[in-house]
Amino acid sequence: MRGNPLDQRHHLDSMLMRESLLDRGVQRSTDNDRQIVRMLPDAQVVKLGGRSVVDQGHSVVRPVVDALAKALPEHRLIIGTGGGARTRHLYSIGIDLGMPVGVLAELAAADALGNAHILGTLLSPYGVVAIPPAMFGHLLPLFIRSVPGVIFTGVPPYSLWEHPSPVGRIPTHGSDAGCFLLAECFGTKALTLIKDVDGLYEADPKHDPTARLIPEITTAEVRDRKLPSLPFEPILLTLLDNARLVRQLQIINGRRPETIAAALAGEHVGTILRAA
Amino acid sequence: MSFANLSQLGRSLVEGSLSDPEILKATGKEPPIRILPEASVIKIGGQSFIDRGRAAVFPLIDEIVENLGRHQMIIGTGGGSRARHAYSVSVDLGLPTGVMSVLGTFVSMQNARMISYLLAKHGIPFIEPAQFGQLSHYLDTRGAVIFFGMPPYTFWQENPSIGRIPPHRTDAGAYLVSEVFGCKRMIYIKDEEGLFTADPKKDPTARFIERISVSELKAMNLPDLAVEHPVLDMMENAANRRSVQIINGLKKGNLTRALSGEPVGSTIYAD
Repeated sequence: MRGNPLDQRHHLDSMLMRESLLDRGVQRSTDNDRQIVRMLPDAQVVKLGGRSVVDQGHSVVRPVVDALAKALPEHRLIIGTGGGARTRHLYSIGIDLGMPVGVLAELAAADALGNAHILGTLLSPYGVVAIPPAMFGHLLPLFIRSVPGVIFTGVPPYSLWEHPSPVGRIPTHGSDAGCFLLAECFGTKALTLIKDVDGLYEADPKHDPTARLIPEITTAEVRDRKLPSLPFEPILLTLLDNARLVRQLQIINGRRPETIAAALAGEHVGTILRAA
Repeated sequence: MSFANLSQLGRSLVEGSLSDPEILKATGKEPPIRILPEASVIKIGGQSFIDRGRAAVFPLIDEIVENLGRHQMIIGTGGGSRARHAYSVSVDLGLPTGVMSVLGTFVSMQNARMISYLLAKHGIPFIEPAQFGQLSHYLDTRGAVIFFGMPPYTFWQENPSIGRIPPHRTDAGAYLVSEVFGCKRMIYIKDEEGLFTADPKKDPTARFIERISVSELKAMNLPDLAVEHPVLDMMENAANRRSVQIINGLKKGNLTRALSGEPVGSTIYAD
């Protein structure tokens, strides 16, 4: 081991040996021109809203399930679920009992997992399997080539390690973020968020029926326009900006199930949100 | 579903939008409870401490043992040299940040296991994230636990804004434990007196900073820092743990002083 005789640390020879990983120059040096590996370039992630789809019951869920089942022969689908009404109720009781944000995040994962099993049951006849979170990430490349499709709890494993929220106590990394981070890490072809609106509107279409749909928008434009409410988790804006592999996503309406096949085929049928 | 029993905030949470700023604000009106207010979180540096081997680690183990029964300690570990090696290999091979996060977790787990074997005869367990439910019991009966410092984000680690290395590593993971459990202190054990204006190992003109606020520290825009940058942002948003302390664990007695609330080393606090 060469170097400073005053340095009594035992180093292991590497480019980052002896370096502070907190040094901005060192951080920049890790951005080489090496292409980042896309582990699953032929798969795509689909997020099914908890409240917007699963909680709506048979009349909404059945057509969505049928549309997904029909798409399975053509597309490798990784389906993530949100927690929906039960998570909202949990937040309400948990906040009243003084639970910190990390505890709310830890507990909310169970609701999304419940929804993963609900969808797993409905899609089981088509060979789709809900995979337990503990093994999901490690075995995903195996499962996605062994079965027609997989389902996972969209909520990322932040649990007690959820970041303190900038405002209030709702966990910032929900199932939208979890599905995005998975798609980005595995370098999937696309990410589609299935909600109960056609996409992003200039105002909340549930309150203002004259609100106009925005077919395409960048993260910077979303921030500039200060839209009052977003049909996705705000942290997606930051995650998209820092993304290397998944630089856009599409939001579509599960109440128009015909848009699902179109979106999976790469057609523009909702709002496309792009990194700035 | 009927939610008739819910408070008004409860009904807005169930029926409203979670990106509505008014609703979000209301969820922060009451402070959260402090789950383990008597415990201190300690993070033992990887590169700065454990990689020095026996000469550095054994005296610290002795000091931890001396404090058993006096202070409850939740002890996390850094990664260090092997994590740097894994990150170097990963950068060269073009591996995604989430995979590097998995590799970093393995290294900090090796260090946690070694520290826990050094403390095993005192009945101090190593716990994985899934075992944090038993944390309070171990603290109550044994006075300390060991965990790996990496937050369990694995494949779901966010990308950094600069470079490829996971931005949330063992400083952030240990800090978040101190925040979520409402612990008394967050103490980082390193091999320097605390925070400096530059890396004192490379720049002899680096000045020691005894006490500084997050906003002052951010305004200084230092090229290098003794704690991971995201910890600063987290402290600003924190409900409980709004300061952290960095101490030199190579000096006997520093840990004991820090556990007793003495201003040894450097303190960074949120305004």
